[in-house]
Amino acid sequence: MSIGDSFRLAIHTLLAYKLRSFLTLLGILISVTTLVTVVSIVRGMDQFVAERLSQLGTEVFVISRFGMITNAKQWAEAQKRPRLTLQDYQALRRGVTQATHVGAIVRERGELKHGRQSLRAAVRGVTANMIDIRTEELATGRYISEADYRHRKQVCVIGADVLKNLYPSGNAVGKLLSIRGQRFQVVGVAEPVGSIFGQSQDNFVYIPLTTALKLYGQRRSIGFQIRVREAALLPAATDQARLILRTRHHLGYFDKDDFGLISPAAVLELWQSLTGTIARAAVVVTIIFVVMGGIVIMNIMLASLTERTWEVGMRKAVGATRADVRMQFLMEAACLSTLGGVLGVALAFAGTRLVALLSPVPAPFSLDIVVAALAVSSAVGLFFGIYPADRAARLDPITALRSEGC
Amino acid sequence: MAETNNPFPENAARESAANGKLIQTEDLWKTYLMGSEEIHALRGVSLEIERNEYVAIMGPSGSGKSTLMNLIGCLDTPTRGSYWINGKLASELDDDQLAYLRNREIGFVFQTFNLLPRATALGNVELPLVYRGLPAAERREKAQDALRMVELADRMDHRPSELSGGERQRVAIARALVNSPSIVLADEPTGNLDSATGAEIMNLFNRLNREGNTLLVVTHERDVAACARRIIHIRDGMVERDERIR
Repeated sequence: MSIGDSFRLAIHTLLAYKLRSFLTLLGILISVTTLVTVVSIVRGMDQFVAERLSQLGTEVFVISRFGMITNAKQWAEAQKRPRLTLQDYQALRRGVTQATHVGAIVRERGELKHGRQSLRAAVRGVTANMIDIRTEELATGRYISEADYRHRKQVCVIGADVLKNLYPSGNAVGKLLSIRGQRFQVVGVAEPVGSIFGQSQDNFVYIPLTTALKLYGQRRSIGFQIRVREAALLPAATDQARLILRTRHHLGYFDKDDFGLISPAAVLELWQSLTGTIARAAVVVTIIFVVMGGIVIMNIMLASLTERTWEVGMRKAVGATRADVRMQFLMEAACLSTLGGVLGVALAFAGTRLVALLSPVPAPFSLDIVVAALAVSSAVGLFFGIYPADRAARLDPITALRSEGC
Repeated sequence: MAETNNPFPENAARESAANGKLIQTEDLWKTYLMGSEEIHALRGVSLEIERNEYVAIMGPSGSGKSTLMNLIGCLDTPTRGSYWINGKLASELDDDQLAYLRNREIGFVFQTFNLLPRATALGNVELPLVYRGLPAAERREKAQDALRMVELADRMDHRPSELSGGERQRVAIARALVNSPSIVLADEPTGNLDSATGAEIMNLFNRLNREGNTLLVVTHERDVAACARRIIHIRDGMVERDERIR
């Protein structure tokens, strides 16, 4: 019997028992869908985060009291660290000669009010040069100026969400808003940035750093953002900044940094180690499911063999060899699981398109994972088809014929 | 697609022992082990069947007639003894070679028809040709010819469930004939049919025999056996009587 004939026979049999075939391949279908979808989404998130980080700029690094904290122990230790102060800022500004800009920022959240409208937003106290360090662009008006900083002026630059919510007319420059009971004049409006994972990035207000310290207390720790001319200069600038802060904090040679350094590469690395773990776990779990799907196929094939014993006997009587019968059953198992794989990939395709449509994550549908999923599902079908096919092939035609036929 | 190759390295010396007979058995024994007890289903059966004979094998149940038919049909191998079919020593062949013989030399007709329920009459008749490895067009042509031979030209696209019992058995007979076998083996071919339909099938057998086919019918019904031209009576695993009636 030729391969083509056994393929046609397998398809014919599967179509003859549509419901049973579908239920049999359901396990493979679901696991392949999960596998392809999860891997696609994780890859999409990696790509998305990488893009966002490059928007932040690969030429910028950040120094803060805490840095990146990934567990409770680090958190407890970080509590003992000294605050970063304006004096530290002045020292960095003078000493990090590899940098083009050294800016400072304090972050708070606060209630913004204008007339009857109010809105909770990020309140960020910044130095005037932050316009050159961060990536926000101004739509109208001006940024916080050196004079605003020196004289603790109560002026602010607002994000697009604040504009939309507090000034529905679309015109804010020159108008007032109040933060903690203090009145601020809007001097500029930023261009919309968009959102990351559903979090709007436009819900902020910038005020002079000095004003912010007055408003929220002088003892707040300050963060620094340092820009270099090109990414290659990052290590040199980082070394300079570390040396300055360690000296100022009187750290010994063997002491650890008592401040956090965050570079874009480090963020990406942390993120990818996180998503890599998710992806690996998902792959392991779904491969277990695929194997279970294979066991389901084997089980159903064995069950169907008992009711098709006479058929095997008849086929052998008219000239089927063991190889013919084995091929017939193997082909059926392989077709079932491959069909499950194909349907699973199709469903995953729809799923990832939906994710891409409803969220900013691109969820790319990559060929390699599709090929891998199809290869695994077909292989599983073939593997778990071997035993039932061998049982069928070994059936004694006389015994098989004695079971009731049609 | 090439036809399945003949698996036999021709062995002239062995074949000559068959003396040109279509079927020759020599002292066939078949012994089963039931627990520790040996059951002799056949105790030394020797018989010959020539081309174009119409033979009935008769005997009560348990006489060994089914065992004999399974051996002649190459579904089984004897414990002892030799069996030649069309010059080939079937008693010493392996599984695949026996499958080849069943495909080319033998056509089976079963009491329970054994048709594939989801396939059409034509599809059922094509089956032996599929295992022979013929291309689809040739299969179709031969299967149609076989169905015409049993007067089912207008039922080719019907499934077994859409056919009467007699028609189903005629499909099965067409399937047995389609590969132009040396011999057609029928095991109680009328057992599942009413007497009128049974008579119809026996008439068909008579005609097929007149047209040159060799037939071997296994039955316990005297009427069915009476249609043949020779009756071999089997009892207790041995040939009790071999009578030519016409």
